[in-house]
Amino acid sequence: MPDPVVVLIEDEPQIRRFLRATLTGQGYRLFEATTGADGLVEVGSRQPDVVIVDLGLPDVDGIDVIRRLREWTAVPIIVLSARGQERDKVTALDAGADDYVSKPFGASELLARIRVALRHTAGASHEADDAAFTIGELRMDLLHRQVFVGDREVRLTPIEYKLLATLVRHAGKVVTHQQLLREVWGPTHTDQAHYVRVYMAHLRHKLEAEPARPQYLLTEPGVGYRLTTE
Amino acid sequence: MFPFFELANLIMTYLLAVVVIATRHGRGPSVVASVMSVAAFDFFFVPPYLTFAVADTQYLLTFAVMLVVGLVISGLTVRIRLQAEVARQREERTAALYAMSRELAEAGAVDDLVATAARHITEVFGAEVAVLLPDAEGKLQARRNKARFPLEENDLMLSRWAFEHRQPAGLGTAMSDAAHAVHLPLLGHRGPIGVVSVRPRRRDAFTTPEPLRQLETFVNQTALALERTRLADEAQDARVRAETERLRSALLTSVSHDLRTPLAAITGAATTILDSGARLDQRVQQELVESVRDEAERLNRLVQNLLEMTRLESGALQLHRDWHPLEEVIGAALSRLAKRLANRRVTTQVPPDLPLVAIDDVLIEQVLVNLLDNAIKYTPPESPIRIIATATDQAVTVEVADHGPGLPRGEEDKVFEKFYRGQPAGGRGAGLGLAICQGIVQAHGGRIWAQNLPEGGVAFLFTLPLTGTPPASVPADA
Repeated sequence: MPDPVVVLIEDEPQIRRFLRATLTGQGYRLFEATTGADGLVEVGSRQPDVVIVDLGLPDVDGIDVIRRLREWTAVPIIVLSARGQERDKVTALDAGADDYVSKPFGASELLARIRVALRHTAGASHEADDAAFTIGELRMDLLHRQVFVGDREVRLTPIEYKLLATLVRHAGKVVTHQQLLREVWGPTHTDQAHYVRVYMAHLRHKLEAEPARPQYLLTEPGVGYRLTTE
Repeated sequence: MFPFFELANLIMTYLLAVVVIATRHGRGPSVVASVMSVAAFDFFFVPPYLTFAVADTQYLLTFAVMLVVGLVISGLTVRIRLQAEVARQREERTAALYAMSRELAEAGAVDDLVATAARHITEVFGAEVAVLLPDAEGKLQARRNKARFPLEENDLMLSRWAFEHRQPAGLGTAMSDAAHAVHLPLLGHRGPIGVVSVRPRRRDAFTTPEPLRQLETFVNQTALALERTRLADEAQDARVRAETERLRSALLTSVSHDLRTPLAAITGAATTILDSGARLDQRVQQELVESVRDEAERLNRLVQNLLEMTRLESGALQLHRDWHPLEEVIGAALSRLAKRLANRRVTTQVPPDLPLVAIDDVLIEQVLVNLLDNAIKYTPPESPIRIIATATDQAVTVEVADHGPGLPRGEEDKVFEKFYRGQPAGGRGAGLGLAICQGIVQAHGGRIWAQNLPEGGVAFLFTLPLTGTPPASVPADA
C-alpha cells in the first residue's frame, strides 16, 4: 500500500511546520494549502486519503470548504478548531466533517484521528470483516446481535442496541447528537437531544464498570459521543 | 347729628369711613368714597344746606384738605393691605420651597427629582410645568411628569435660548415677553443643567417681578438637587472605573507573571535541547521535553481561564441550555483530567434517579474541571477526591470534596474572589478558576460555596436549580 496522502488546509505557518514534521515523520505524503480556495484545488488534484481543515481560514469559512468538498467527495475530513467553539465543531460535523481535534492538540491525538479515518475508508470496501467489534472487556457480535462485557452477555433493549451499533459503526470517531437521533430514532426526532443522553446513560450503566467514569462511551461536551478504539 | 357736633368732628367721621372702605375694598372704592364724602359734606353741612353751592369760600380749602387726606389715607391703607398680602404669599412660598427642598433631598433618581420639582411648582404657582434636560446628544428633551404641557415650536426655541444664554426667557422677561410660558435655566456650578418651562394658568401671574424671583428660587433649588445627583452618579462611575482599573492592573501583573513562568520554562528547556541535545543523556532529554509539554499545557489552561473570565465579565457569556444527566457531565470532566488524576482515588456518588438538569454542559463541565484541578493542585498527590450529587425538589447539589489541608479559617468566601491564590501552591495559577466557577454557577441561577470538612479537607458545593418544564419523558422500549 502506498503512503497515504494528506492535504492540509491551514493558514498558520507554525501549525503547518509542526504538522509537516509530525506527518512526514510518520510516513504520510503531505500537501499544504494556506487558503480555502487553494485547498479545494489541492484536494481535486492530489486525490488525498485524508483532508485536514482549519476552521479559521483567511479567505473563506472552513465550514464552506467542508460543504464544497462534500459536493463531490467522501474523503475523510478532520477539522482543527479551538476549545470553546463547540457550536462550530457541531456545525462542521453536521456539514460533513468526520472528526475534529481541538487546538492545542498533541501529535498523538491527531495521528489517532487520522488512523481512525483511514480505517473507516478501508472498512467501507469490505463490510463483512466488521461483524465483530472488541475494545477492552467490551465485545459486540453484530452478526448474532449479542453484546458481552468479559464473559457476561448483556441484554440490551432494541434502541440501546441500535445506539451502540451506530457508535460501533463510527468507532473512534465523534458522533453528534443529531447524527445519533437521525440514525437511531429517525428524522422526526432530531430536536430531542435528551433522548440520546438518557439512552447513553442506560448503556453506560449496563456496559461500564463505573458509569460516572466511562472507559468506552466517552462524552465530548457540547458536541456528541465517541466510542473509544484504543 | 348736626348741630350737636362741630363740623371738624363730622369731617373725621367721613375720613373714618374712607379708611374702612380702603381696608375692605381697595383703591377704587376708597377713591370714590373720598370724593363722595367731600360732596356729601358740602351738600349737607355747608351753608346753604342741601345744595352744592358754597357761601363761605374758606370751605373750599376744607374740601381740598379733606379730599387730599382721604386720598392719601386710602392710598396708604391699600398699600399696607397689599404688602400684607405679599408677605403672606411670600411666607407661603417659602414654606412651599422648604417642603420642596426637603423632598428633593430625599429623591434619589433624576426622574424622581423632576417629578417632585414639577409637582411643587405646579401647586405653588398655579402653572403647568415641563422640565427639559439634555439627552446623550445634548438635545433638550422634556422629561415625563404630571401636569406637563405640550411644548410648541416657540417654547422649544425659547428654552434652547434660555439654556444657551443661561438667562430666563419668555413671559415676564426681557426676552420675548409676549410668550405664554416662561423658561428658566437650571444652572449648576459647571454650567446649565437644563430648563424649567412654566406656563401659568393666568397670563398676569408674572407681571410683577416678585413671583418670577420666587419661581427662580424654586428652579435654583431644583438645579442644586439635580447637580447633587449628577455628582453622586459621576462619583459612582469614577469609583467603578477606578475599581476596573485596579482589577485590570492586578490582572496584568498576575497574567504577565503567570504567563512568563511557563514560557521561561519552555524557552529554557527548548534551548537546552537545541544547544547541547547530543551531550545530554536520554533520560534528561526526555525530562526536558516533558517539561515543555507540561508547561505548554499549563499555559493553555491559563489562557483558557483568562478568556473564560473575560467572557463572563463582558456579559458575552451565552448559556446553551439543554437537559443533561449530571453523571455524563461529571464523566466528561473526569475524562478530561484522566492523565492528572491517574494516581488518585476518585469516588463518585450519583444516584441513578437524579433528575435531568437544564444546563450548558460545556460550562458546567468547566466548573467541575476547575474544582477538580484545584483539588489536584492543593492536596497531597494520591489523596482521594470525592464527587457527590444529591437532589431536592428545587435543586441538584454537586459536591467536590478533597482530603487536603482545608481552607484557612474565614477564607471560605474569599477563595471565590478574582486573583485569590491559595497557599502553599501560590503562583501555580492566575487565581481565576473559582471566580469562573462562581460566574458560571450564578449564570445558571445556582450558588457555590466552600466549607471545611470536620474530618479534614474542603468541600466545594454548588447548586443547579431545577427550573423549567422537564422534557417529555423518554419513551421506553421493551
